[in-house]
Amino acid sequence: MTDLAVDVLIGAGLLALAWQTIIGKSLFRGIVLFVVFGLTMALAWARMGAPDLALAEAAIGAGVTGALMLVAFRRLVRIRPEQSAQPALRRSRLALPVAVLAGSLVAVIGLAVVAVERDPAVAGQAVAQALTDSGLGNPITGVLLLYRNLDTLLEVAVLLAAFLAARTVFGEDEARSPTPSRREVPLVGALLAIIVPLTILIATHLLLAGSREPGGAFQAGAVLAASGVLLVLAGRLQPAAGLSSWPALGLTLGLMLFSLIGLAVMAFGAPLLALPGLWAVYLIETAMMLSIAMTLVLLFAGASGLRRGSP
Amino acid sequence: MSSTALYVLVAAGLFGIGVYGLIIASHLLRKLFAINIMGNAIFVLMVAASAPLDGRPDAVPQALVLTGIVIAVSATAFALALMVQLYRVTGQASLEEDPTEDD
Amino acid sequence: MTEALLAALVFLPLLGACLLLLAPSSWRATILLAVTVPLPFCLLPLTLLIADAGLFEMTLAGHPAPLGIRWRLDALSLLILWLNVSLMILVGLAAGARFAPASDVGLRFWPLWLLLAGGIHALLLSADLFNLYVTLELVTLAGIGLIATGGSGAALRAAMRYLLLALMASLLYLLGVGLVYAEAGTLDLYQLGETLEPGLLPATALVLMLAGLLVKSAIFPLHAWLPAAHGNAPGPVSAMLSAIVVKVSLYIIWRLWFWTAGDWQLPAPGLLLGLLGAGAILYGSALALVQKRLKMVVAYSTVAQLGYLMLIFPLSGLLAWQAASYHLIAHGLAKAALFVAAGNILASLGSDRLRRLAGLDQRLPMDVFALALASVSLMGLPPSGGFVGKWLFLRAAYEQNAWGWMALVALGGLLAAAYLFRVLALTCFHPRSHGHSTRLREPPTLASLAGLLLALAAIALGFASAPILALLEAAWPGAMTP
Repeated sequence: MTDLAVDVLIGAGLLALAWQTIIGKSLFRGIVLFVVFGLTMALAWARMGAPDLALAEAAIGAGVTGALMLVAFRRLVRIRPEQSAQPALRRSRLALPVAVLAGSLVAVIGLAVVAVERDPAVAGQAVAQALTDSGLGNPITGVLLLYRNLDTLLEVAVLLAAFLAARTVFGEDEARSPTPSRREVPLVGALLAIIVPLTILIATHLLLAGSREPGGAFQAGAVLAASGVLLVLAGRLQPAAGLSSWPALGLTLGLMLFSLIGLAVMAFGAPLLALPGLWAVYLIETAMMLSIAMTLVLLFAGASGLRRGSP
Repeated sequence: MSSTALYVLVAAGLFGIGVYGLIIASHLLRKLFAINIMGNAIFVLMVAASAPLDGRPDAVPQALVLTGIVIAVSATAFALALMVQLYRVTGQASLEEDPTEDD
Repeated sequence: MTEALLAALVFLPLLGACLLLLAPSSWRATILLAVTVPLPFCLLPLTLLIADAGLFEMTLAGHPAPLGIRWRLDALSLLILWLNVSLMILVGLAAGARFAPASDVGLRFWPLWLLLAGGIHALLLSADLFNLYVTLELVTLAGIGLIATGGSGAALRAAMRYLLLALMASLLYLLGVGLVYAEAGTLDLYQLGETLEPGLLPATALVLMLAGLLVKSAIFPLHAWLPAAHGNAPGPVSAMLSAIVVKVSLYIIWRLWFWTAGDWQLPAPGLLLGLLGAGAILYGSALALVQKRLKMVVAYSTVAQLGYLMLIFPLSGLLAWQAASYHLIAHGLAKAALFVAAGNILASLGSDRLRRLAGLDQRLPMDVFALALASVSLMGLPPSGGFVGKWLFLRAAYEQNAWGWMALVALGGLLAAAYLFRVLALTCFHPRSHGHSTRLREPPTLASLAGLLLALAAIALGFASAPILALLEAAWPGAMTP
């Protein structure tokens, strides 16, 4: 009974947060609420027995998305301070009935699906059986890296495409104007010296844990990106205009290594993308983690490249 | 009521709120909030809909949703960059047409 | 060996995109050639194989469906692969003239171009509903990124609207996929064809997926985003978007309809989809008639021509299937030619307003000739590829005594003739006083040549109908389950 009470609380919280995010007056507050919504969503995933999704939601859904929204908002304000504060809602008589209709339809569909007792899915059973041979303990990592790994490979390509698409519209001024010389706040250096290695440690743990416990390349990449974002914020890394070689390598490493290993196995008579062992899984996950982190940091910096800033 | 059914109802509510937001928001950032909320609703439904396996949720939909989350953040990142540039070029962060511009 | 050829189709463009980002700028042209030129040579042996065997399937990662994902090649996917590879080469020529690979803007353009191509190839091969979702996202994001290279406020706004709608559409599709999985426990398109029984829940899932895909294919009345997006993108980008990007989501609808739900017997929904197509033909043509800018005429013409691809649902038979597939290819080539030529004209004049086009036939003869040839195919005049498609539609409708659809196809051709003749008449119209006064920047010869070659290909397709139709006949799913 208390279990259900907790779920009711989380559900009510989700609905309230979503509603406030949408209708709140200030955009800035909207972003903050959206992040809180994401974190509550992570709780909900944990309650639904999906810890991998909880981690992903907290790191990517709330953390990364929130950071990207905040930095985009800051850019809007910088371009034209007076306009971005406008409350940006319009009236519509249609909105409420359409929304209620859509919500009810989804409720009916969802409840209809849940109401029917079903046998477990064929594919899900196949995963459970195949997993015992693979040496992996986490079925989700199994699905993502061994069984349906074309999805994952193309997903890394989607992330690259999103970055390249964003790059076509990056403002030139972002990279060209030197960041306003900020005075070094005392202790920032010491703080970075603790936090950055710590995040790298957490990221590595998430990556390695992903084979047995919840975690994996995407969550680890997002955490690693956080330390990069900190370095950008502190001015240690600064946006650069050109696509210099090491950020470019970081961007493409995951897709390239995944593709090359997936293709190379064909030379030994194995099917395309049949990874030859757990070492390949780890290697690819590490490369993907680095690529994800680099992509996210560059998206945050709003630039094609990074250069070292003065400490 | 089971907690699965509860989360299905919450997802439905979130979806409705997302649709509502999409209609009434004119600022693009708000539209992106709305789309992301709708996305979350659908992710919840995907996981809730599949039958559990030995008492644990099916891993396949979870893996699909994980992929979906990463794709959602990719698309959102591009949309945010596009919004900033649109604002820089046209002075608007909404899709309402400037009547003087077209044709 | 065949597996390696299919892998090359997907991975050459993907790896090419990575290499473009890494290599020095002077190598980029070489890399582009190195990943593009082999593609037709991959398709040649595959074509022989499909002509012989009709079908090729391969399991990825060594795990057969439902655990893993498989690729499946048949005549339909093969033909669209040929279309995409031809476009990559010919439209690529025009794009190369505009976005020099070694330049800064080239570095923005070409990696996205290759990701788009890789995404399209992966989509055409995939037999898995969720994998199709991922490929669709790749195609969408890369395509919209390419629109944004246009840079103008109108292009950015169009890109943004397209992106928001595409995201919502993806969510609808994804919800449908989730429901299908819950119901049937597999995501393989063709396995589902055997296991998924018609029922309320599967039908709901199908409707959700269809709704999402119809938005992405810009089928009337969900087309509102298309004209601005295709009309404001750079010429070569518009060509790819109109010629192939909107078609691949429609291709998924065909797969769902005739394979996954192949034996469901859905005459009433099929009629509804056909009526949407009719609406698209009439509404798109009418709006194409009143546009003031050349690229907007061509963009609304896309809205109209996509309508024909929906006639396959009510007419549903071998002939309609051949007609729609043929139309898809013919329209792809002709529309790419139109957009490339229109892009060249826009770049030389600095405007594509129709009243500025007067007397252009003497000043840009190659581009105007490409425009005229492509128009012949789009109107459906013999001996073009467009004619074969429309003729087959007429025959399909005649055989079923479907007079309404016959009239629609005929009327659609007339309307296309009207809006295209309007453009051609204005172009070849020589007022005495003005027209030659404005200065003109000659488009690069390569870009004009590309448009001309595309238009010639659209005409030449009319002479190659016999083998193509034979290939298509073998792939028609109705032949398997009569």
